[in-house]
Amino acid sequence: MKILLVSLYHPELVRGGAQQIAYELFEGLRQVEGVEPVLLAGADHTAPAMFKSGARITGFDGRPNEFLFLSQGYDHVWDKSPSVALAESFKEFLERLRPDVVHFHHFLNFGIDYLTLTRRVLPEAKIVFTAHEFLAICAASGHMRRLTDGSLCDRASAVRCHQCMPAFPPEHFFMREMWMKAHLAAVDVFTVPSRFMIPHYVRWGLDETKFVQVTNGMKADAVPIRAAAGGRRNRFGFFGQLVDVKGLHVLLQAVDLLRAQGFTDFTVEVNGDNIRFASPERRAGIEAFLAAEAARPADQRNVVCNGSYHHDQLRARMARVDWVVVPSIWWEIFCLVISEAWSFGRPVIAANAGGPAERVTDDGDGLLFELGDAGALAATMHRACTEDGLWDRLAQGITPPPSREEMVQGYMDVYRASVLAPV
Amino acid sequence: MSRGSSRKTADPAPIAPLRPSPLQPAPQPSADTPPLNEALYLRLNPDVATAVATGTFRSGAEHYQRFGRAEGRPTMAPASVVRDRVVITADPDHLAEKPRAPAGNIDHIKISPAGGIYAVGWVNDSQDRLDSIDLYFSSWSISFSAASIARVRRPDAEASIGLSAPHNCGFWGFLYAARRLPANICSAVVRLKSGAELQAMVTVDTVEDDELRNIALSGLALAKYTGAPYFAAVQSVDTAIAAQLIDFNQMLTRRAVNAPYIEFFGRGNAGYKGSIIVCLFGKIEYMFAQQAMFARQPGIGDYEFIYVCNSPESAELLLREARLASLIYGLDVTVILLNANAGFAAANNLAAKYARSSRLLFTNPDVFPRDENWAEKHSTIVADLPAAQTALFGAPLYYDDGSLMHGGMYFELDRAPGFSQGRRKDTAILRVEHYGKGAPPGTPEFLRSRIVPAVTGAFMSMARDWFERLEGFSEDYIFGHYEDADLCLKSLEAGRPARLHDAKLWHLEGKGSQRQPQHEGGAVVNRWLFTKNWLDLVQDGLTGPAPPHPALDITEAK
Repeated sequence: MKILLVSLYHPELVRGGAQQIAYELFEGLRQVEGVEPVLLAGADHTAPAMFKSGARITGFDGRPNEFLFLSQGYDHVWDKSPSVALAESFKEFLERLRPDVVHFHHFLNFGIDYLTLTRRVLPEAKIVFTAHEFLAICAASGHMRRLTDGSLCDRASAVRCHQCMPAFPPEHFFMREMWMKAHLAAVDVFTVPSRFMIPHYVRWGLDETKFVQVTNGMKADAVPIRAAAGGRRNRFGFFGQLVDVKGLHVLLQAVDLLRAQGFTDFTVEVNGDNIRFASPERRAGIEAFLAAEAARPADQRNVVCNGSYHHDQLRARMARVDWVVVPSIWWEIFCLVISEAWSFGRPVIAANAGGPAERVTDDGDGLLFELGDAGALAATMHRACTEDGLWDRLAQGITPPPSREEMVQGYMDVYRASVLAPV
Repeated sequence: MSRGSSRKTADPAPIAPLRPSPLQPAPQPSADTPPLNEALYLRLNPDVATAVATGTFRSGAEHYQRFGRAEGRPTMAPASVVRDRVVITADPDHLAEKPRAPAGNIDHIKISPAGGIYAVGWVNDSQDRLDSIDLYFSSWSISFSAASIARVRRPDAEASIGLSAPHNCGFWGFLYAARRLPANICSAVVRLKSGAELQAMVTVDTVEDDELRNIALSGLALAKYTGAPYFAAVQSVDTAIAAQLIDFNQMLTRRAVNAPYIEFFGRGNAGYKGSIIVCLFGKIEYMFAQQAMFARQPGIGDYEFIYVCNSPESAELLLREARLASLIYGLDVTVILLNANAGFAAANNLAAKYARSSRLLFTNPDVFPRDENWAEKHSTIVADLPAAQTALFGAPLYYDDGSLMHGGMYFELDRAPGFSQGRRKDTAILRVEHYGKGAPPGTPEFLRSRIVPAVTGAFMSMARDWFERLEGFSEDYIFGHYEDADLCLKSLEAGRPARLHDAKLWHLEGKGSQRQPQHEGGAVVNRWLFTKNWLDLVQDGLTGPAPPHPALDITEAK
């Protein structure tokens, strides 16, 4: 079975969960007998050195079956590529490769209309589409978080979307929805990493019977770190992008609240970067907090920012914390950080929505708090620091996160079922 | 009394000087002239008293000697004072007083290479009515009569001259000379009924023809009026102006459709069941979105698409998107590029000539199929119904909010009484209304197949031979609006009234183009033209949602 994996980016050029999962799957499929995976990963202006004169699709770093799709001028309003040459190259690529399955991990950098193009070029092939968030439904970065008041959105509509993005009239969103659905109609199977996503897409109008949940999996190479013997479990860690929806500001507000209540016996370590992608207001707030924190006497600091980290450094960073906090203020689709925390035996304190709410069992293997509520998070952190035996009990409740093999098996089941399905 | 003119007055007739020349001694009374009672003379001639007080004359006697005697000015009070009656002391018609130059201005004069002439200004003629605007150039001249000039409000002028009540001080005139007219300086004269004149030397602006049309129509759309703008705007061009603008626009339209660029994308099948003709006005995204929606339709391969682009600046983008659409959706697309905006009617008429089927489906770019089997449904309607029932038909259209937008069209007549200058000049304007606008989507009376007075040009399916027999859309209309109703009434007069059949579509009304003020100005002219063309017919039984006209039997589809 020949499987073409279409990924929005190559994870070694642009980091991100969706492309990481696509690549894990690519590597995992290589181990499956009778399967020939091919990866076509998007690259854009963020990797200018990858572009070759006149080329639209190239290889990648001498690796077999890994190709780059050199995207240019992508239209983020309509999620389409404006280039005829790119479309022709993609068409020729499909015609040459003639895969049995084309598996899209997102449509960014290619275009939602490439689903229709794929169907037209390969009428017999099965098209699988993995939704890594809600961009087909929600033009506001696919977060389904209302820009009007920050509340979570459970229903897109022309008027509601216009309220979030008033520069566009309601008719634009009506057309956008029809545009997206016209192309998603070419898909045979939709997969999502978390079950909670399915009702969102079904409510939007997609066929529920086409949806399958396939968990995100990681290569199981982590060995749980032994927790420090005895002592207080009062060290918290944040891992991830420093962008608005990841909710670092909620964690920092909780720190302020705890201190205001006279509770200072805790530490928070911030690990991550890309604060340049945060909104100017949020960035200014975070940077001001960290600067003020750095100006405090060393013995009065609660928060330390360690900056970005490579996967190889994760073990060391995790070893310095007892709890991993996931204060995201959007639906947070799957949250690989939870998998990483669990693989190192760290219980998670997470906002009670989306993927984290689906994965974390409150008071079983972690703790949940009200999304966006700094007071609730502060109370949860206080409990985590002060309740005897809580950490041990929750740590013992942790089950190993899904492995890459589990994920590959899940997708192989999807591929086989769809390829064998009657046309 | 003789009064000095302003600097702008240019009258060849002799005029009295502003002041006595210092080199010229004041005339002395002759021996046989009775002495003038200075105080009495000033009392009987208050304007002279004012002139003396302001230093124009040194005394009443000086005025009398130089002008008053010749003017027959009274110097003695009547022997007995007549009470409670006006006493004529001199014949006012024979006074040598020169009428005052009016307050006003010629704001600009614009001329285009093809001979469009556009003049704009204002004059305070609240007491003394405007007679003409005369423009003198080095080798030609033109006089706009007051009757051929549009009058509008000029709040800025009203404020500057302190008018207490609104008055149409503003004016603009337009004339299409259909020949090149050399011009750089113009001697412009604003003439009032009294003979008073305002003269100004004006530097002429030369602008391109289409720009001049847009300027004139924008001015029409943005003007202020003393009455309701809906009526007043139409009334303002109910002179020679509307006809002149239409002539001028027709010239531009002919020029725009001349030598179009045509490119074909696709397989080029013969034997299409229909040609979907879409006139694009700038928003190219509607083209690829429309292709994506229609491409999903079973049976859409029986149709070709013809996109005609009225926006030359979008040409490159449109060709690229057409190439992409052909690649991704595999539909047959012909792209026709015009060198300028030819308007809805001419663009569609041109596209119809390049159609390769016997069925023309005029479709707005913001129209998308609502029925999942829309294409098959349309094909079945055309194939199964008698030709007379499909010669010209529309379909139910829906807003994006789900409500009905269009279930056919009917006509209403709006009237506004006019009492300007104490004279009645009523205005009647035909208005087009949509059946079922905003109604719940399933309202049966608006959805059933039936005869209707008209259907919208947003979607109109026509037998090609019938379209050609009716000579297509009238190209008299400027840009767009009303030509669809015009065609339907032509069809009705020719014996085949428009019909509505149930093949539902979405219509994001007004979103498929970017309306500018000149489009609104064009709509004003079109409203005038449509009323002029069809008022008699509509008044004869075609008014209202249930018109009794014999050509219509809207209670039962025939």
